[in-house]
Amino acid sequence: MDTRVTKKKLGLKERYAAMTRGLHWETTYQPMDKVFPYDSYEGIKIHDWDKWEDPFRLTMDAYWKYQAEKEKKLYAVIETFAQNHGELGVTDARYINALKLFIQGVTPLEYYAHRGFAHAGRQFTGAGARVAAQMQAVDELRHFQTETHAISHYNKHYNGMHNANHWFDNLWYLSVPKSFFEDAYSGGPFEFLTAVSFSFEYVLTNLLFVPFMSGAAHNGDLSTVTFGFSAQSDESRHMTLGIECIKFMLEQDPANVPIVQRWMDKWFWRGYRLLTLVAMMQDYMLPKRVMSWKEAWEMYAESNGGALFDDLARYGIRKPKGWEQACEGKDHISHQAWATFYQYGHAAAFHTWIPSEDELDWLATKYPNTFNQYYRPRLEHWLAQSKGDEGRWYNQILPMLCQTCQVPMLFTEPGDPTQIAFRETNYLGQKYHFCSDHCCEIFEHEPKKYVQAWLPVQQIYQGNCYPEDINPASPGDSPVREVIRYYGIEGGEDNGDFANSEDRQHFKAWSGRMKPSDLGE
Amino acid sequence: MVVTDKDVMAHIGEYPLLQQDDESLFHGKRLIFLSWENHLMFAAPLCVPLPPTLPFGALIRDVLPELYGEHPEFEDIDWKRTLWFNSSKRFIPDVGKSLEHHGLSHKSLIRFRTPALEGMRKKTSDGRQAF
Repeated sequence: MDTRVTKKKLGLKERYAAMTRGLHWETTYQPMDKVFPYDSYEGIKIHDWDKWEDPFRLTMDAYWKYQAEKEKKLYAVIETFAQNHGELGVTDARYINALKLFIQGVTPLEYYAHRGFAHAGRQFTGAGARVAAQMQAVDELRHFQTETHAISHYNKHYNGMHNANHWFDNLWYLSVPKSFFEDAYSGGPFEFLTAVSFSFEYVLTNLLFVPFMSGAAHNGDLSTVTFGFSAQSDESRHMTLGIECIKFMLEQDPANVPIVQRWMDKWFWRGYRLLTLVAMMQDYMLPKRVMSWKEAWEMYAESNGGALFDDLARYGIRKPKGWEQACEGKDHISHQAWATFYQYGHAAAFHTWIPSEDELDWLATKYPNTFNQYYRPRLEHWLAQSKGDEGRWYNQILPMLCQTCQVPMLFTEPGDPTQIAFRETNYLGQKYHFCSDHCCEIFEHEPKKYVQAWLPVQQIYQGNCYPEDINPASPGDSPVREVIRYYGIEGGEDNGDFANSEDRQHFKAWSGRMKPSDLGE
Repeated sequence: MVVTDKDVMAHIGEYPLLQQDDESLFHGKRLIFLSWENHLMFAAPLCVPLPPTLPFGALIRDVLPELYGEHPEFEDIDWKRTLWFNSSKRFIPDVGKSLEHHGLSHKSLIRFRTPALEGMRKKTSDGRQAF
């Protein structure tokens, strides 16, 4: 008998095989189908998991090593940033509101993504896919953590960041990202990957991260920039997983094609609606602008995304159904969203304002066909009103929400920006309303799922968002005030107009930018 | 009601039906959505809980000013010339009769158009759209 010779060290390829697929075994006490029930019920047919191409040949031990190095650098920068009072180095305290939107609405999604990938990382039968999903689950948890740490420094100095987790579960505009992810991770693992890895991270991710990270760079926020760099290498791995998963499903069985196409239609539209918040941030909340939402959409969606779908055409995949409408929306959605936040600025957890004259002109240049015509007049009206006896206007009546995307019904008909778009359907004798054909179609395909939507406006009127001392059937003369109290938002400190905010006062005083005329304020 | 499997594309295990905004949950009121057409100073249509017995006249007299009174055109509305729609279906209100009588069930959408006052469709003196 030959003596077995153990090689001291495995080669890269062998080590990868041993540390991923080598950890897999065929079960014998229970059939494989029972051990992995989640990867068949969606109707996706997989014949050969060995055909899964591992997008990044990364093993867990290498993963720890790389991430530890990156994190060491990141925390060194965050530390330096704090030591040097980086919170005063940003262009203008208005910028901080973009960070508030980030910690309130984006960071919690990292945690949701962690949960979704942890689930997928358990449920795929194929070991290659499981390992990739597990690693991404760890990435997402790290991102949640590092973003929280990076922004926590701002939380020491500015309002509107101290209660982000509670807000995420309750606030009207945060139910938009929350419901997006709950929809995704309550689907099966293949739908989850199509939703998050492909539609969101592959097709739309540049429209989320570029505005925030370039916005940070342009506005002197070094800690967020560094976080962005630190996450970037993870993101490219995530994108590769997204495209690999799509190609794998499409190549395994022709019957998978229509299922995947429908998921792409759905998740492109869900992601696009979610990005309304980013569009608004990009056009209105960055004191020093990077590019307009319209330009970003043209660059990252229309040209890059267009090429991607041309490439997928050989599998019988076409562009998502909502594509044309999304492209038309580039001229409108940021303005429509900011008008909404401006008038409900007493019910949000960040500040709003009317852009300065220069900024209004910038918007007019970037949106030559729509801004002066449709959106500038009401902003100027509100500005005049806020300077007059009446004071700043806040809309005291809660808005109607779309049942699917949960965004207030602020979107207009394609081709007619003077007309709100209404769509409606009936299910089990009840009416349901939508902002668009696509949101309506998503509902009609799975009504039993979307009737469960926790719509903040409906919940408030049911009495589920009042402090304990309030009778939900008669909440008094200002129900909105009571709801704000329940949310844990300090009215006027965490929200309201930027002009009167503590943030503005503190920033000016601390950064030495206080002019003698300001002292009289 | 029979809920078929078609109502959820794919599921594993039990899938309970949970209508989160059923009329029974609103303390005797029902949700009514309102939209003053073309008046986009109000960025989105509004949502209010109202008793089904509320006379239509009281909706015009007491509720709408609370909702839309801030708009500069509101005072000039001629209610007799206003066109009313239940979603997209035109109806002629009877001010003495209730919402219920008009077929305005839970989560109905009332759209109203004020012909002389066209909000965003009108041009202001400097040639721009109003709001």
